[in-house]
Amino acid sequence: MTVGGAESALFWIAGPLAVAGALALLFARKAVHAAVGMATAMIVLGIFYIAQQAEFLGVIQIFVYSGAVMMLFLFVIMLIGVDSSDSLVETIRGQRWAGLLLAAGLAAITIAGIGKAAFGTPRGLAEANKDGNVSGAARLIFGDYVWAFEATSALLITAALGAMLLAHRERLTPKATQADWSRERIRSGENVAGLPAPGVYARHNAVDTPALLPDGSPAELSISRVLRARGQVGTTGALTQVTQEIEHEVGDESDEQATTRKDDDA
Amino acid sequence: MTAALSSVPAADFVATKVEYAAVLPMFIVFGMALVGVLVEAFAPRRVRYPIQLVLTLGGLVAAFLVLVLYSRDHQAKTAGGAIVIDGPALFLQGTVLVLGAVGLLAMAERLDSAAPDTFTQSGSAVPGSPQEAAAVRMGATTTEVFPLVLFAISGMMMFPAAGDLLTMFVALEVLSLPLYILTGLARRRRLLSQEASLKYFLLGAFSSAFFLFGSALIYGFAGSVRFGEIAKAVPQVGGMDSIAVPGVLLIAVGLLFKIGAVPFHSWTPDVYQGAPTPVTGFMAACTKIAAFGALLRVLYVAFEGLRWNWQPVVAVVAALTMIVGAVLSVTQTDVKRLLAYSSITHAGFVLVGVLAMDRTGVSSTMFYLVAYGFSTIAAFALIALVRSSGSEATHLSQWAGLGKSSPVLAGAFSFLMLAFAGIPLTSGFTAKFAVFGAAIAHDGTWLAVIGVLASAVTAFVYVRVIVLMYFSEPSGDTAVLTPSVLTSTAVTIGVAATLLLGIVPSPLLDLAHDSSLFLP
Repeated sequence: MTVGGAESALFWIAGPLAVAGALALLFARKAVHAAVGMATAMIVLGIFYIAQQAEFLGVIQIFVYSGAVMMLFLFVIMLIGVDSSDSLVETIRGQRWAGLLLAAGLAAITIAGIGKAAFGTPRGLAEANKDGNVSGAARLIFGDYVWAFEATSALLITAALGAMLLAHRERLTPKATQADWSRERIRSGENVAGLPAPGVYARHNAVDTPALLPDGSPAELSISRVLRARGQVGTTGALTQVTQEIEHEVGDESDEQATTRKDDDA
Repeated sequence: MTAALSSVPAADFVATKVEYAAVLPMFIVFGMALVGVLVEAFAPRRVRYPIQLVLTLGGLVAAFLVLVLYSRDHQAKTAGGAIVIDGPALFLQGTVLVLGAVGLLAMAERLDSAAPDTFTQSGSAVPGSPQEAAAVRMGATTTEVFPLVLFAISGMMMFPAAGDLLTMFVALEVLSLPLYILTGLARRRRLLSQEASLKYFLLGAFSSAFFLFGSALIYGFAGSVRFGEIAKAVPQVGGMDSIAVPGVLLIAVGLLFKIGAVPFHSWTPDVYQGAPTPVTGFMAACTKIAAFGALLRVLYVAFEGLRWNWQPVVAVVAALTMIVGAVLSVTQTDVKRLLAYSSITHAGFVLVGVLAMDRTGVSSTMFYLVAYGFSTIAAFALIALVRSSGSEATHLSQWAGLGKSSPVLAGAFSFLMLAFAGIPLTSGFTAKFAVFGAAIAHDGTWLAVIGVLASAVTAFVYVRVIVLMYFSEPSGDTAVLTPSVLTSTAVTIGVAATLLLGIVPSPLLDLAHDSSLFLP
């Protein structure tokens, strides 16, 4: 079994890349970095498959793993937040070292075993790719292993059903329409005209900037409660200060504001 | 392009033949699961429960009848060798169908009310949240569990009938995935249930990886994943034992995990405690049956020639399983955890039978699985009835004095405990006798001795529960609910089978013996 110069060059360039990607998956502190490392490893594996004349497998590897599965991972990371990272505190003392030791032992035994084995002569690719690579894979999937292939449909259905059960919140009551909301507001007598819109100013407007009430204080209701929960509400201090300064210059300052400003200066 | 297309000889593709008569029971169960999914999609919420109950039970009964009356005469190696319907496969499939139906009766319990009792109304709502309360108020149901149970059962039927490692792996996942979901759907103590589900899922995925790794090594060794080919390759291939032996052991790890053998047992107590109680019974009975069926086929059909390599390892695992299970069950204070450790010990007893390596090994193993399955489903169905302030009273102290307040439940539970302990005139005695007899006849006397000692230790545990129920004063507000006809039927079947298999075991023993030959 000989490996051509180009193929060995590819191996020695792409191989370390795959290993680096896999290690990044293990050791990256941030979920996004881990995902990128995993994508690298997956794509390089796909390249290896293609180089070994398993074109179908290589393309599927890149399409399905790097494409679909990685996208799913990224969606999950998006949902749980880029910033969230796992706590690396050990709950069982010495677990990491014990785990490493056992893993090293298993690796040593397996490598020693496989290294010692006397492999027979390989049957070669010619036989497997006799009818073309895709046809050969199709023959196996729809011929010899059609039962296993069909049985995986049960897995997909179960997974879909489980996702619905564990993640989908069934709507139990009809969704409230705009008319319903309006009726509800008038009945309760609160915010009859709807909630105030966020701040719209001459030089600045954004959903995270609260509107100002007549007395100059920010209107809490004008900001989405999601933004408030995340602590992403903008401040109005600078805006009111600019206004006050202009009012001060044109001499249109109320007594109350003047006193607070003097206090601030002091 | 045209050249590439014309070089493909599409005409000489021969579709794999499937002996439909042999696999019809599996098709029925799988088909009913699909119908159940459609019912979930289109039937109004109120009628889903009765439709699903009738469909699921009807499907299981129909599959069992077809199996007994029709498929039995069409034993075959089919689907290109992926499925082997032989004596052990048929016996275990029939057992899974019967026990699945009995377990389903307990799972469908609603205590004569319209609300579901075992499963949460809203699996997606955060425990204790307003959404959950709203779901309860609006009468939401989780009838998806019925198709999930059917999917699990179809996987359990495929597992012992798999003719190659690939099919076996797919079957392993088909049976596991629904169980992971079912585990997380308990109605009470939902956080515990969800934690159990996640633990089960993570450890199960881990063990599946072991199985897959082993399969890859074996494929490298034998050049095929078919058990028949592997068995042929074992004596021929020299100098590759160092791949074959790790391969067998890794595959065994995957299967021993499902069985719950020490040292792969750590998930068992947590999952058995967290899962909805009737689901625990179903898992304990049917998963064990399927997994032992698969283990028997792998060890007896594919790797019989390597037995001098793996047999000592499995023997040590069996001994450890019995010892650890028995010792740890002594310290348990929770009934469900106690039965979980008891199930670990029982897995050890069955492994002793597996190690006999001939027909008696197969038949005694299968008999043990049937006996244990009936008792354990009934036991967990009974545990689900004991309540304290709206929640299941699983702490042992809450069971004090049940003999006085509810003599029927205490009597039935005591009887099942005696069967677990292996007292004569119960199925447990006959089953233990069969496996230990098989072991002694085949150089496994030391294992049988350990087994008897472990039985003695566990007998102490079971008797302690009985003493607690009958000879101590009731405390707290423990109450026993009156079950509907569903649980009553399940418990009656379980107790009756436990008694019958103890008094007249010979028909089932003969059946197990007659169906103990694997197709090569």
